[in-house]
Amino acid sequence: MGNGIILSIAAVFLAGFVSPAAFRLLGGRFGKLLALVPLAAFVFYASLVPSVGGGRAVHAAIPWADSLGIPLTFHVDGLSLLFLLIISLVGTFVVLYATGYLHGSKSLGKFFLYLMSFMGAMLGIVSSDNLILLFIFWELTSITSFLLIGYYHEDAASRRSALQALLVTGAGGLAMLAGFILLGVTAGTSEISELNALPAGTLAAAPAFSWILGLILLGAFTKSAQFPFHFWLPNAMAAPAPVSSFLHSATMVKAGVFLLARLHPCLSAHELWVGIVAPVGAATLITGVFLGLRQTDLKKILAYTTLAVLGTLTMLLGIGTELAIKACLVYLLAHALYKAALFMSAGSVDHETGTREIAELSGLRRTMPFTAAGAIVGALSMAGIPLLLGFVSKEYFYKALLDADGPLFLWEAIGVGTSMLLFALAVIAGVRPFLGQLKATPKHAHEAPWTMWIGPLVLGVLAIKFGAFPGWVGEHLITPASQAVVADASFHAHLKLWHGWNTALVLSIITVVGGVLAYAAAPVWRRMSAGLYRVLSAIGPETAYDRLLDGVLGFAKWQTRTLQNGKLRNYILTVGGFATVLLIFQIVRVPFEIDLARMSPPSLLGTTVCGLIMAAGIFACFAKSRFTAILTLGVVGLGVAILFFLFSAPDLAMTQILVETLTVILFVLAFYKLPLLREFSSSAIKARDAIFAAVFGIVMAALVMIAFHFEQTAGPISDYMSANSLPLANGRNVVNVILVDFRALDTLGEITVLAVAALGVFAMLRLRTPKP
Amino acid sequence: MKTLILQTTNRVIMGILLVFSVFLLLRGHNLPGGGFSGGLVAASAFALHALACGVPSARTMLVFDPRTLIGLGLAIALLSGAPALAEHLPYLTGLWDKTPLPVIGKIGTPLVFDVGVYFVVLGVVLLLVFSLADEEGSWS
Repeated sequence: MGNGIILSIAAVFLAGFVSPAAFRLLGGRFGKLLALVPLAAFVFYASLVPSVGGGRAVHAAIPWADSLGIPLTFHVDGLSLLFLLIISLVGTFVVLYATGYLHGSKSLGKFFLYLMSFMGAMLGIVSSDNLILLFIFWELTSITSFLLIGYYHEDAASRRSALQALLVTGAGGLAMLAGFILLGVTAGTSEISELNALPAGTLAAAPAFSWILGLILLGAFTKSAQFPFHFWLPNAMAAPAPVSSFLHSATMVKAGVFLLARLHPCLSAHELWVGIVAPVGAATLITGVFLGLRQTDLKKILAYTTLAVLGTLTMLLGIGTELAIKACLVYLLAHALYKAALFMSAGSVDHETGTREIAELSGLRRTMPFTAAGAIVGALSMAGIPLLLGFVSKEYFYKALLDADGPLFLWEAIGVGTSMLLFALAVIAGVRPFLGQLKATPKHAHEAPWTMWIGPLVLGVLAIKFGAFPGWVGEHLITPASQAVVADASFHAHLKLWHGWNTALVLSIITVVGGVLAYAAAPVWRRMSAGLYRVLSAIGPETAYDRLLDGVLGFAKWQTRTLQNGKLRNYILTVGGFATVLLIFQIVRVPFEIDLARMSPPSLLGTTVCGLIMAAGIFACFAKSRFTAILTLGVVGLGVAILFFLFSAPDLAMTQILVETLTVILFVLAFYKLPLLREFSSSAIKARDAIFAAVFGIVMAALVMIAFHFEQTAGPISDYMSANSLPLANGRNVVNVILVDFRALDTLGEITVLAVAALGVFAMLRLRTPKP
Repeated sequence: MKTLILQTTNRVIMGILLVFSVFLLLRGHNLPGGGFSGGLVAASAFALHALACGVPSARTMLVFDPRTLIGLGLAIALLSGAPALAEHLPYLTGLWDKTPLPVIGKIGTPLVFDVGVYFVVLGVVLLLVFSLADEEGSWS
């Protein structure tokens, strides 16, 4: 069964990879075939419900980068299974939906490549047992999300939103990686199942704990669009509707919530957890409904309510009582069902009528009956009407809030207040467009193809079934998932529809009454509050994001202008200067002695050649024509070649001579194009360059002598090479053996650099702006 | 710049240089030489031809575009490490056929690697030389 988990994830990825080719061969029909892959995965996951629900988690491992302690381990318990089921079920309908929604689109194959890769990565996140593996899948969802948001890449707003989502979630992901590594080092294991099995409070006592928690929370909060990182999610609505309903409501944005739930057993035993997670969740919840109220675009309204729900889930995890965890998981399931349905319906409405403005939409139940049915059931579930799963989840939400410690009904006030507004928004987005008189729309509306309404309808039926008879869900899905989050195998989450007359029910009734009032007041509020929202957006976090991005780009331009100013002389100064400083630092730091007596006495020939090289070097500095300068530099090069010969390094000498020869050829070719030598430098600059050159030369000379010292004390490294070159590598030429065998990987890198440099020169010569 | 003396000399020298470059490449494992210096010699041969007879003529002689040679060389070097993987040895471990062939000598993956280096160096130098020379109207 463990292999089944790995196989199912691999199959989803594979289906994505073959999509581009398959769509070219088979056309749009392949889309419906493709939906069978997540469906098969769903059936397989469903078959695991009895055993996993019975407390037997599925475990699988493949050895991978074992030397780094990163095996590919998968662990599916109740929490993972709940997510696997949601992802594969919603995924099936989203694939079907996309074939209808994007019908006739040119790059459908590419779209499904991204979508299936995302689905595979998402399945990977929720079933990974290794932190690093989880991180890899996590980043993969960020990247695929970037590609999917930017699907309409001709549109500048789409590209901006895609980049924004990538930067925000990517930055959070990097923080999270740091947190994971710290966590792994602190705990001595990167396996989540082992981390969660540690006795409660072990990690919380570690000195690095606040860093671990803070960094991981950054990752979770950016991914789940928590305040103040919430702004990327509504902007991500630039994506096509299938993407919005899959990534940005039902699955990806829940990854952050999943991570909080996953690591709840090992991270929550610290006051910072409650102190940060619950308030951030509450702030997101309030921000979501508050900003949602002003929207008039169907998808935007839904996006802000998604924010509100993500805030709710985070808040419940922050509160962290057993009741809160149970409420969180029921709420999560209910939301995945109704929000995916609502997003798909909103997409269908947009697709069929050509508009998403709520003022232009009315009476669509006449022309789009199936879409209407799915949307209205979803909206009623979101509003918390009895007999739907949304009602059950709201009841437990209230119970958890009533049960939580908090100052003077604060939680209850937040919960009821925001639920009223969510009720109003549900009616505005999911019910209103379908009731009343039919209005004329940009496109003449008719029912969408079956692929587009089957999803909302089935999800709606599930919301009714689970809502009216919540016992099965509670027993087989919520209970095992809750057990994993609270790390207590004896915990049982019974779900009931009817609890008798209690405070939660009273609050629910208040919510419905308040929600109706809020719905009636919403248009008035939108008219009156325009100025307020303008002020808020001017000081909001998105403005800060823009400033930060501008700042980074400004800094990049500044440092490019300063460091890469196009003057080769300055480049040499910068590179050489840094090298000199670092070398001096190292020379001063490591003790050594230079023993001149142990060096061989200077030979007459060697001294003569050295003198020649120095004379030529000095002469080149004062040369009045370029031709003289080149010739004298050639003397330097050949002199060095002779030195190589003297010290019996024929390979080096030969290469040196060849390079000198080719340099001459290149110079000849470039010669006519270069301007005449002129006095560019003032005497001060010349003096600076002379000092710099002298210091650099002295440091290099010192380095050679120091190397000699260490060769004397530690033994030369060449001994190993000489001794093993013939027996190990079949070659007598040690230099060549080092190049092509002992250090072949280095050589491979070097020739790659060489190739890239040549292409760079080629591009510079070819792409130069032609002279007028 | 096209002089009769250079053109005539080049006709003789070119062949010698190319043979010499292959000689350097093959002997490199035991004696001074190798792919790098061999590639440089071969590049000088073509550069000399470009000087004597113009870049188009040199390009025709080379048959392949220098960029193709770079890619080819990199691919050869990259793939020469692969056989070791099949033997469950680390990537780029040298494998040798112990019986020497006439003229060429012993064959092994490091030699193949060196052939890759040879082509990369040849391609890189000629890419630079041809690009610079093409700029000069009178040369092409």
